[in-house]
Amino acid sequence: MHDVLDTQEHHAYREAFKAFLSREILPFYDQWEKEGIVPRSAWKRMGAQGYLCPWVEKEYGGAGLGLEYSFIITEEMAYAGVHGLMAGLHSDIVAPYIHGFGTDAQKARWLPGCVSGDKILAVAMTEPDAGSDLSSIRTTAVRQADTYIINGEKIYISNAMLADLVVVACKTQQESGSPHKDICLICVEEGSPGFSRGRNLEKTGWHSQDTGELIFRDCKVPAANLLGEEGKGFYYMMEKLQQERLVSAIMSQSSAEAVLQMTLRFLSQQRGLRGAREGLSMSQTMIVEMATDVEIGRTFLNSLIRDHLGGEDVIKKVSMAKWWTAEMANRVVSLCLDLYRDYGYLEDYKVGRFFRDARAHPIYAGTNEIMKRIIAKVLGL
Amino acid sequence: MDFQLTKEQRDIQTAAREFALGEFDPDMAMEFDAKQQFPVGVWKKACELGFLGARFPEETGGQGCGLLEHSLIVEAFCRQDSGMGMALALAGFGSEMILRHGREDQKSVILPLVAQGQGIVTAAVLEEAPAFSSIETSARATNHGYVINGAKSFVTLGTIASYMIVACRSSSDAPHIQSNFLLEPSLEGISVSGMGDKMGMRMIPVDRVTFDGVMVSEENIVGRSQCGDEQLRDFFTELRVETAAMGTGIAQGAWDRAVAYSKKREQFGKAIVSFGAIRNKLADTYVDIEMARLMVYKAAWSFDRGRPDTRETLMARMSATRAAYRTAYEAVQIFGGYGYMTEAHIERFYRDAKALELLIEQPPFQRALLADQLLGKVQ
Repeated sequence: MHDVLDTQEHHAYREAFKAFLSREILPFYDQWEKEGIVPRSAWKRMGAQGYLCPWVEKEYGGAGLGLEYSFIITEEMAYAGVHGLMAGLHSDIVAPYIHGFGTDAQKARWLPGCVSGDKILAVAMTEPDAGSDLSSIRTTAVRQADTYIINGEKIYISNAMLADLVVVACKTQQESGSPHKDICLICVEEGSPGFSRGRNLEKTGWHSQDTGELIFRDCKVPAANLLGEEGKGFYYMMEKLQQERLVSAIMSQSSAEAVLQMTLRFLSQQRGLRGAREGLSMSQTMIVEMATDVEIGRTFLNSLIRDHLGGEDVIKKVSMAKWWTAEMANRVVSLCLDLYRDYGYLEDYKVGRFFRDARAHPIYAGTNEIMKRIIAKVLGL
Repeated sequence: MDFQLTKEQRDIQTAAREFALGEFDPDMAMEFDAKQQFPVGVWKKACELGFLGARFPEETGGQGCGLLEHSLIVEAFCRQDSGMGMALALAGFGSEMILRHGREDQKSVILPLVAQGQGIVTAAVLEEAPAFSSIETSARATNHGYVINGAKSFVTLGTIASYMIVACRSSSDAPHIQSNFLLEPSLEGISVSGMGDKMGMRMIPVDRVTFDGVMVSEENIVGRSQCGDEQLRDFFTELRVETAAMGTGIAQGAWDRAVAYSKKREQFGKAIVSFGAIRNKLADTYVDIEMARLMVYKAAWSFDRGRPDTRETLMARMSATRAAYRTAYEAVQIFGGYGYMTEAHIERFYRDAKALELLIEQPPFQRALLADQLLGKVQ
């Protein structure tokens, strides 16, 4: 099923990571879900084994592997239903901002910690009044000599409670007349004066993922924490959001595959029960349709991964994959629940958690409606 | 043909809406959902005002109304709050069997209890095996009455129920011959244990109940002996309409909230209700809701005229619980990131809608039953 990611080396890496997952993560996951957070030690264990940012070059402490190794990790975590310890966000969504737009000094300062798990990352774009419309953010960064003074509030930020370094989208007061040109990205580190965390928000799913509020009140950071150039933040985000959407599609697709597998296992265990055969024959077409959806999704996704790794412009394709796999995953998990009968709503049957978790996919990293807006633009509509 | 509700029906609807608006505090609902507790206080108030026994005869504490009036109440409750609405509607789960088939002495005990909110009644019907199969829990006749052995699952509010109606096979040679027994769960040999956390419908915990040599008498049989099968069938017919009314209410409630939010929320300099992507969702889901509502009222109306129609009840249940799921799904989407947060309340409608769809008869099973009704059983 994983043709793009399926050389012998990839396979061995996947197996090793799966073993790590079932030894170091899965036995504790229910507990983390109850506690609403993942312990820092788990991030460190991931780092110690080289499972954070494996694509970072050796000079910055990484393993210098291909990006697809990171995708293997994201895939296996989604397959196991692990959303709390969001390695994909850390490694493939936030770290690339530092890697792509940071100076050598910034990279040398931060990337080794990203690899080891000592520096957990977050990216803060969304604000209470700026969700889909990213250009309307109001958090400001004012340059004063060698510092930036940041004021504003961010919300629904993943890793909000744990993050040691947050890439914050701010408006600099350039008055360029174009809201897109006023945005810059500044790295705010834990301990910066005026930086605090708000609530760890309760959600439908992803309970162990600390999604919360970040507050900046005259927050002072060194001017050297600016990523790239002032005024280019919006374009930086537009560039890196492509990979974020790819990570999201990988998660949706892998969740759908996991739920279908899980359901087929449940049904085969039920086969011995009275009446089960009748039930199964009735559901046959429905299962076949889901299997077809999942297969089509995987084929499209693998072709997208191939394009992305090859450096092609994937904006249309990744936007399509993001919304379609998110919808498909939700469709599949909802129909699979129907096959679990009343057991579907019991939390002890993992499928109920997958159901709660899957609902996030059409929302974060740009809602499905925003994906369609982007595709419409590309199509010239 | 007359598509108008009567004045009395409209009054009932308004009264139920006003009650729900006044009593279903969203933050309180969120807390009951989080703690997985049945909202006892609100339930008692609803009973005091006669909402939950509306279908029961006046002499048993009811209002002498029909299933349509009951559906209007349930719909209004679920529209205001999915969790509270379902919890209240299901507090008398199975009492329909007493209402339609019980002996007079059974009616005089159970119906006032349910109508006045003095006790919870539940029915223990489902077992581990799928619903297509026959019931295994058995009631064996002895010289002194019956001995019940077996186990039931998904018994709503089993731990706090005052009475439980237990579906048993009552003939050793013919599995389809059944009797329903009305029991107090405190009897020796009955043990009730929770089935754990749920992802939706959390104000109604479900339990596993085991029966180990439970001694009961002939008197415990609901109505006539060996008629359990028919009683259950009638109960499910009525329950389907009630469930469909819940679905319609949940769908409408989710839609109302999505509309209110989309008018308030601005992005790109405009209220999001002005965007095609949002308008499409609100238009499509409204079609689902209105079609479900028509089907629910039709099924309830036929039932009240003494012509219950299994096809109608199935179509009502299928269309309404589907409308609830789809509308709540889209409502969460319209709320965006906020929608996924517990504090926005809309995600509760979403979890509850899916749980409702899974309650007792799931869509594949409903579809198969409907196909049998329309096309005849496959031999």
